[in-house]
Amino acid sequence: MKKVFVVYATDNVGTAVLEPIHTGDHVGCNGERSDLEVIALDDIAYGHKIALMDIAEGDTVLKYGLSIGSASRDIKEGEHVHAHNVESNRGRGDLADRSVAE
Amino acid sequence: MSEFLGYIRPNGDVGIRNHLLILSGTVYANGVCERVADTIHGAVPITHANGRCQVAPDLRVTRRFLAGTAMNPNVGAVVIIDHFKEEGMTAEDLADDIAPTGKPIATVNIRGDGGFISAIEVATRYAQDFARQISLQAKEAAPMNKILFGTECGTSDTTSGLASNPANGLAGELLIAQGGRMLMAECTEWMGCENWLTDKAASPAVAEAILAGVQHMEARALASGEDIRGSQPTGDNMAGGLTTIEEKSMGAVKKIGDSPIIEYLEIAEAPVKTDPGNYVMYGPGMGAESISSMAAAGCQVLTFCTGGGHTSNHPIMPTIKVTGNRHSFELMRDTVDVDVSGVFYGEITLAEAGQIVYDEVERVCNGYLTKSEALRDNNSFAIHRVGPSI
Repeated sequence: MKKVFVVYATDNVGTAVLEPIHTGDHVGCNGERSDLEVIALDDIAYGHKIALMDIAEGDTVLKYGLSIGSASRDIKEGEHVHAHNVESNRGRGDLADRSVAE
Repeated sequence: MSEFLGYIRPNGDVGIRNHLLILSGTVYANGVCERVADTIHGAVPITHANGRCQVAPDLRVTRRFLAGTAMNPNVGAVVIIDHFKEEGMTAEDLADDIAPTGKPIATVNIRGDGGFISAIEVATRYAQDFARQISLQAKEAAPMNKILFGTECGTSDTTSGLASNPANGLAGELLIAQGGRMLMAECTEWMGCENWLTDKAASPAVAEAILAGVQHMEARALASGEDIRGSQPTGDNMAGGLTTIEEKSMGAVKKIGDSPIIEYLEIAEAPVKTDPGNYVMYGPGMGAESISSMAAAGCQVLTFCTGGGHTSNHPIMPTIKVTGNRHSFELMRDTVDVDVSGVFYGEITLAEAGQIVYDEVERVCNGYLTKSEALRDNNSFAIHRVGPSI
């Protein structure tokens, strides 16, 4: 089985650092969530992220157990997670003082 | 608490090395410094391009870098060489700054001592005496809470934020648990996760200083005509899988762990506080300037996290290179000390990687030579400029 890496136990994304992932691959996790297994819905290139569970629009995307942004639309378990479905909460004048990094 | 064997200085600091420093006061004394250091066993020259025609605020920073490097606990004795009298930073001024440490200091002035050849002779005799004097000092047991542990990242890649940096943060926590202190600089890379840092600030003043430091660095970048924040993450970061600025910055600041941030320091400034925990310092992402500022602040040892592999090494502060990229470890095995890529392959946990980094730090504190020290590749002394040459 192909593996992605999960930094922190509460993360909802994993990173492809061992090998690229292809659509339909069964994907397990090294790092903190060896219990999780997902089926890839997209190709995931080296260094890119995969959703380990469904993430609803507006929900926080967690890596390092911390926010790296919010889902800009519903993301399904196994989907590629990147700029097309995540938006930053930082460096934006309208949000700069209210952004949260739990 | 574990102990290490180090060199106890008259002011109570403890060095992990016992270097004789041949310190150049100005660019024009570099040649004399190099000749003296070539002659004397174990002498380390510190040379640079500064010391002349600098505006006052910039010269003050240069003075802090030079005096701080000599005050570092890893230095046993210092010979300072300048070529004339530079107002605001003569050899005597530097000696005055260093004197409270109680270590042996000599000053040589190229003009005052009769020119290039005579100055080399005078300085070489001082250096010979000092080299023998410090060779008498035996190592003694000291507690790990005497260690100020610096950390840096450079030539980062996808693996950095996932393995080497968080492992390093965990290593820092292991030192802090024994009363030690960890120092992180490179405030450019705090952008996007200021809140993560300010949440850890030990006081509101520290939190305000962190925010002001980032804003100051950002303003300097904007004044140069380059909007570094508007373009973050960069195109190649995005292609590499980094989605947002907060993701990129988190990877960088995870070099420190979750302990409180005790104090905010200006560049090359030594901490005043001694409480265990994290310390942060204003400064650029430029690696050599950054690690030199941390050596000047008194760090005895530094971990340099690097995805692509690195050669950076400070002349007096052992610089342990740590990578999470197995390929880079093979390519750069001459100068990269620690490989924690096993976390990706399920061979070790991140906690175990943290222990591996910590164990290497402790060994180096006990005298184990880093790969770059063994090669004497002392490439990374550099001084940050805050003003133009006039």
